[in-house]
Amino acid sequence: MTSRAQNTSYIALPDKRANAKINRETISAASVAVLCVAMLLGSRFISPSLGSWSQVETVLTLGSFLVVLSFGQGLVILSGGLDLSLPALITLGGVLSTAWVGAGNTDAVFLLPLVLVGCGLVGSLTAVGVVWLKVPPFIMSMATSIMVASATLGMTNGTTRGAAPELLTDLMKSQIAGIPASILLLLAFVLFGWVLQARSVFGRHVYAVGTNVQAARIAGINVTLIQFLPYVISAVCAGFVGMMLVGYSNGATLRMGDNYLLPSIAAVVIGGSSILGGRGTFLGTVGGAILLTTLGTVISAIGLNFGLRTIIEGSIILVALLVLRDEFFERLRGFRKP
Amino acid sequence: MLNKTMKMTLAAVSLLAAATMLAQPAGAQDKKFKIYLSLSYSGNAWQSETANIVKALAATPPYKDMVDLKEVISGTDPQAQISAYESMVDDGADGIISFPISSTALNRTIKRGCDQGVLFFMYDATVTEKCAYNVSYLTTGFGENTAQALVNILGGKGNIFLSRGVPGNSVDKHHTDGAMSVFNKYPGIKVVAEYYSFWDDRTTQQETAKALAAHPDVNGIWSQAGEYGAIQALLDRGDRLVPVTGENSNGFRLALSNPAMQAKGLKGVSSGSPPATSGYAFKLMMEVLTKKRDLKPMNIEYPLPWVLAENIKVCEGDRFENGCNAFPESKVPSSFVTEVLDPVMLPELSMKSAIDGTAVDGATIQPLPKEVKEAANAPGINCEKCDAPTDAYKPYKIEPIVAN
Repeated sequence: MTSRAQNTSYIALPDKRANAKINRETISAASVAVLCVAMLLGSRFISPSLGSWSQVETVLTLGSFLVVLSFGQGLVILSGGLDLSLPALITLGGVLSTAWVGAGNTDAVFLLPLVLVGCGLVGSLTAVGVVWLKVPPFIMSMATSIMVASATLGMTNGTTRGAAPELLTDLMKSQIAGIPASILLLLAFVLFGWVLQARSVFGRHVYAVGTNVQAARIAGINVTLIQFLPYVISAVCAGFVGMMLVGYSNGATLRMGDNYLLPSIAAVVIGGSSILGGRGTFLGTVGGAILLTTLGTVISAIGLNFGLRTIIEGSIILVALLVLRDEFFERLRGFRKP
Repeated sequence: MLNKTMKMTLAAVSLLAAATMLAQPAGAQDKKFKIYLSLSYSGNAWQSETANIVKALAATPPYKDMVDLKEVISGTDPQAQISAYESMVDDGADGIISFPISSTALNRTIKRGCDQGVLFFMYDATVTEKCAYNVSYLTTGFGENTAQALVNILGGKGNIFLSRGVPGNSVDKHHTDGAMSVFNKYPGIKVVAEYYSFWDDRTTQQETAKALAAHPDVNGIWSQAGEYGAIQALLDRGDRLVPVTGENSNGFRLALSNPAMQAKGLKGVSSGSPPATSGYAFKLMMEVLTKKRDLKPMNIEYPLPWVLAENIKVCEGDRFENGCNAFPESKVPSSFVTEVLDPVMLPELSMKSAIDGTAVDGATIQPLPKEVKEAANAPGINCEKCDAPTDAYKPYKIEPIVAN
């Protein structure tokens, strides 16, 4: 009797309590989704035209930029860093694909990936600074951002020439079997991002490094590489967002990325990730991004003045964040089992 | 030994002589006018066009050999522009041509500069300091005139959007007050959504898309700069376009004059802020500096561009010739602001000068028309403690229809 217990003592017994079966990150992703739907349906009270399929289409199209961007930001945050260079890279991707590739360019299929490679190189510059020179990510990515933004300003003399390559307008504007291509693109990207972050070896390694660098190193993970790659991926994503924006609005401006930095971080955090790294899911981030976009759409329909609208928007984000925190669920758990 | 010392001395003397000779032309350069171009920020087509045409004019003979032009970009913070002005004054500037970020915050510094004999020429945006020259279209009633045009097109009734500029900005407020003074006269006109688009095409497109989700039945859009984004948002949604009034982007003008777009319901007028004011201000400043014109500091009005769909004509060359006022899509981006050229005031320039800041080959500076039009008072915008004229906000470009 005693010997049997000793033999199996190294096997952890499964936690059979009901609330432990559900991953806390799944809960926060699900709650974000529920909030989105509730907000969409609730918005009918503001205007009867809201809550329709066409509004969902608007939200998904406008939200797709933020989803792609916060995937990269999310990976960087997960690995324990932060990327402030995203707006500059959005602009770089946008400006290169209009001014350098441009409309009517038959080689766009080959040139556009080259633009992404260029963005990736900029990302690796940030990564070199963070990983090898040990510059804090905040400062390093800000420095890259300033350099890239100034280079694009100098390069274009302030006027961004050219129009969107047809490939990009097709990507954002055409329809496939009655469904906007931009939404299919969003779905494909979410699937890709989910596999990369949650199901690939690389993704697991990022979690490990973000949780504890020392432990990850001892476990035999190439920590340098795993800290390096998220910045590259993030930069490529930002460049791609630049292209999507170019396709959406048929042109680039030097300030096209300005409005996306804080939302990209907010989406990650609202989606349940830890700003300190090591925890969070991409699906949560997707929810966060869609939630922010939905909120923006609904808020702009309220006929209040701009100041009040912004206050309401800020408050809702704060409430969402407080409610979706782990502690909130822990407390619920505590109430259920006194 | 002595020989060596002599050689050294000789060498030193000759070096000194060479240095003096080199310094000679530098001394002559002191006679060049030291002009500073002070921008708040660069990064949109409008801002860079204003700067580029000033650079192009400064590189056009005879100014090419008379002007030493330096550009300073100080960002959207008034404090930064104040310290930029301070340095320019201390550096002995003859003139400062500037887009001021605030109508009041810079006043003290400007006064200090004026007292030291520096000429201040503000373009587009204005300051309330009396010793500065303001060159602007702001008092020409962009808001009320475009609003009246929209009301007339809609027959005095319908749901409309207001696509505004930057929150808290005095120019945005002035335009919107003007527009609302007209809309409020027509009970049939209902503003169903009002949003800030930061004078940017992309933001306008996204904000308009959001507003359209709530109000798909909109009948017209009154827009400040960024208007082409509003049209794109309408196009994204489907085939129906509505009347749009806006500013002077090339994309907007091409759309207004496009029969296919007109068939979908697009009507409107292209008006608003002309980047050409910077060139006009620079030429005025140079005429004052070279004593060719005697002009006391004052508020100078630049005429309001006003182009209806039927008057839009695409240029064949790079200039506004034979009444043309837009460029083909292949030549300039949609955000290019067409009213940077002016065949009367700025015949020296071409579309290329506006894009890359280079002078046109063979061009020489032409004198400006003698008459300078004084602008009306706009309290808080171009004067302090002053009264607006009683007929402020009265549309004059178009005959108002009767409200019902």
